[in-house]
Amino acid sequence: MIHWKKIDLYDIPWRILIIAIILTLIGLLALKSISYHHTKTLQNPFYKQVIFLLPSIVLSVLILFLPTYAVHKYSFIIYGAGIVLVILPFLDSEHAGTHRWLNVGLPFAVQPSEFAKIFTVIALARYLSDHTLKMKRFSSIIVPFILVLVPSVIVLNQPDLGTAIIMFTPILPMLYWSGARPFYLFMILAPILSILTAFDTTLFAIWAIVMGSLIFIGQPKMSIGMSLFFGNIFLGLLSRPLWEMLKPYQQNRLITMLYPEKDPLGAAYQIIQSKTAIGSGGLLGKGWGAGTQTHLKFLPVQESDFILSVIGEELGFVTIAFILILFGYLINQILKYSFLSRDRFSSLVLIGIATILMSHVFVNTAMTVGLIPVKGLPFPFISAGGSFLMTSYIMIGLVMRLSIHYSD
Amino acid sequence: MLKTENIVSQHQYRIAGLVIWILVCILLGRYFQIQILEFERYSSKSNTNRIRQVTKNAPRGLILDRHGEILVDNFPIYVLTAIPGEMINRDLQFKMIADYIESDSAVIAKNYNKYYRGQFIATRLAKDLNFDQISRLEENKLNLHGIYYDQIPERYYPSRVKAPHLFGYVKEVDRDIRKSLINEELYELGDLVGWTGLEKQYELFLMGKRGISFYEVDAFGREVGPALELNSQNPDPGQNIQTTLDLNLQAFIEKQMIDRKGVVLVAHPESGEILSAVSSPDYSPDLFTGITTERDWAEIQKDPDRPLLNRYIQGTYPPASIVKMIMEAVLIENTDFDVDVTQHCSGSYQFGDRIFGCWKPEGHGDVNMTEAMVVSCDVYFYKAIRACKIDQLYDMFIAFGLGEKTSIDIPNEVEGLIPNNDYMFKRYGRFGWSKGSLLNFAIGQGELLVTPIQVLNYINLLATRGSSPVCHFVMVGNLPGNVHPELESTTWDRIINDMRAVINHGNGTGRKAQPEINGMEIFGKTGTAENPHGENHAWFIGWAEYLDEKYSIVILLENAGSGGGVAAPLAKIIFSQFASTKNLAFK
Repeated sequence: MIHWKKIDLYDIPWRILIIAIILTLIGLLALKSISYHHTKTLQNPFYKQVIFLLPSIVLSVLILFLPTYAVHKYSFIIYGAGIVLVILPFLDSEHAGTHRWLNVGLPFAVQPSEFAKIFTVIALARYLSDHTLKMKRFSSIIVPFILVLVPSVIVLNQPDLGTAIIMFTPILPMLYWSGARPFYLFMILAPILSILTAFDTTLFAIWAIVMGSLIFIGQPKMSIGMSLFFGNIFLGLLSRPLWEMLKPYQQNRLITMLYPEKDPLGAAYQIIQSKTAIGSGGLLGKGWGAGTQTHLKFLPVQESDFILSVIGEELGFVTIAFILILFGYLINQILKYSFLSRDRFSSLVLIGIATILMSHVFVNTAMTVGLIPVKGLPFPFISAGGSFLMTSYIMIGLVMRLSIHYSD
Repeated sequence: MLKTENIVSQHQYRIAGLVIWILVCILLGRYFQIQILEFERYSSKSNTNRIRQVTKNAPRGLILDRHGEILVDNFPIYVLTAIPGEMINRDLQFKMIADYIESDSAVIAKNYNKYYRGQFIATRLAKDLNFDQISRLEENKLNLHGIYYDQIPERYYPSRVKAPHLFGYVKEVDRDIRKSLINEELYELGDLVGWTGLEKQYELFLMGKRGISFYEVDAFGREVGPALELNSQNPDPGQNIQTTLDLNLQAFIEKQMIDRKGVVLVAHPESGEILSAVSSPDYSPDLFTGITTERDWAEIQKDPDRPLLNRYIQGTYPPASIVKMIMEAVLIENTDFDVDVTQHCSGSYQFGDRIFGCWKPEGHGDVNMTEAMVVSCDVYFYKAIRACKIDQLYDMFIAFGLGEKTSIDIPNEVEGLIPNNDYMFKRYGRFGWSKGSLLNFAIGQGELLVTPIQVLNYINLLATRGSSPVCHFVMVGNLPGNVHPELESTTWDRIINDMRAVINHGNGTGRKAQPEINGMEIFGKTGTAENPHGENHAWFIGWAEYLDEKYSIVILLENAGSGGGVAAPLAKIIFSQFASTKNLAFK
């Protein structure tokens, strides 16, 4: 147990915070460019972001004074509070047809699922560090899964598929960190991929080959390997007829749950506009405030989901590359602290946070260039969004707190 | 257990780091591909090709009469629009347009501000352009950069029927209206939204779904062609609604009501379908489409006859003697009053220190209940009412749906007023009112106020012995439930026989409603409502049975005189019309 008075300022890995602030400043630069015509203060994403930035930084520094043992001790209580938080919006009226937002009497609504992401990671870290898992046994990962699935399913019903995915993803690297065989993790993911690829014959064939080879490499018992392989193939073959048996309105309901923002014209339109904006930016960009695609409002949700497209158009490939490499470095630093950490709890929280940040970056960036379908997820530190900016800085604070003794 | 040792190996750390950098490289590679390798392609696309989204308004559904004749239609009109981002000198261009279409540039600038939604979205400048205006604009197209015109459907009324209160009107959605709509995301500025009447009630059916098409435009804003990579969506016209109205009957009655003030309602009592509904004075239904000048609008609003008021759902009137069927029902069913004993009418009746007059100052002599109904004797009912309590009377009014909304399918219906014990207490205090007020209720005066549509429901219930469904204007499958008064069958017989006598008896107040048509039988009751503000209001309510069909009718003529003298003769004209259309249909 470390008492906060003993913290040496030089021990704190300030570079983590500095990287976060640099990224936020780049974001502010882009927001300033697109906010040119806005007048009202809180509707102006630039001012709103500036207003949220200072409390966010203060919060991340305050977390430094939080003893690690307290985080560990109260993990499950925090987790419970997180569950309550994500249920609360269902009692509030709908915002834009979803239950993602909570009105707390402030001039803006808050998105509790953002905060719940961290709480889930902490509870999971606590469970996995308290129980030395017999990772050879498949059954030992059931409880961790329940821990993650409860908040994810609630968030999925808000409906918010993006956040639900982000909430779910950390369990895979965290189990890996706790010594689970990668092959087991693969077995967990396999059924999902079997269902998703089933709707495209070529994709399904490729997946079947990949899965077969991985099972071969994984070398489970013959009977398990065979049943795993054919079970998945069967599931894939079954999913399309099952889908077609559904009535059109049932299909629609499922699609709406998975893609609440689905708008067949809108999605294709957004991707085309985003790619045109990015592509026409070239190496150095069109210059700050000179992005025609951006300023002619061809680009939708510029301030959050498509902020990278604005940067790509106005500031060019060099800036994008700088951002992505800086981010890669940041994540790598967190991984390093996680590896060097002496206790398993800190190590697991760190890898969990690294996963959340990386998932956001990957999903958001891949979406802007049409690598994956449009999914409303913001880019950490850069996209406008109060709740998300604050959670990102809370994560940065936690990273600094849990890394203190291992800074080099 | 915070001391649990970290077991992450160097190997695991390296794998995780590798995964991170592979993901970063995938993203960087894709950006490199788009921004560096395909730069030329996207650059030219951004410079010369922009995709513009154009919305196409869906025509609203039509409103039809019961035989499928079109009552409310759509007609395409021309509107002038501008793409703000493509205009070069806005003020100058507004001035030029104003010249070509002979309008005021300030009006055009005002429209521009009203409809502006974005730099590259068509903004409406003017509408209802005629052919001359368009050709002048076309001749000068070179100077009018960024100015376009478009066709939009607008409401048009092709039939002889006016019925503006029933159809209602549509309004153009502006910023304030848009904010007030529950489903505001479905509307854009300049769209039409049903604002009153059927247009409002059936908005979700009538509105249809807007279409979207995508065009590629070049750097000069000229359309180069449809954007093929995006699917256009055709507008989905609104659904038609079939009303219960009979076009010919409606037109006929509207004609009868010219220069009269009041209401005529005609319905089929068995189905509740309203064949005709006239509130007079009215206005032309196209008053609200096209250009309504401020002057027209002010004039119609200030008119002392209030043509904008839909009298059959919003006008409240004292029911007067048409409540006497309710009196009969209460007296027979709920009191021990002997209806066969005659009462003497001397022309007035003293109750406490007040004197209540009969409408006929000379008096009716000795009358029994039927005779009292036939001549509409007030004194008989003054005497009879002493046998019952106010809440018994109130319950019977409510049982016939008076004093409550009928759930008619057009908005803004009002309730009227039927006082009960609590109401009188609150209004006048515990001792402030006496049975004297009850005497007024017996002849449908005092605080009593009803709407004509409630009275139509009331007469429908009488004509069907309490089984009539709610009155309605649109043919729908699921009607809301109606009140169903339950009376003994002998009571129904008595009331209905008395209503027949009102028409057929030599002294009957309703005798002037008798068209004397072979095979047509008439039942009815007149009423003359005293009105502190002027001449009496005349009521006639009743129904005709002719060739297995029933037609119910409610006539209310404001400040016109007595029910028997003014309303009954109009009823006769309408009853004759039933016969002639029916016979025409047979030939």
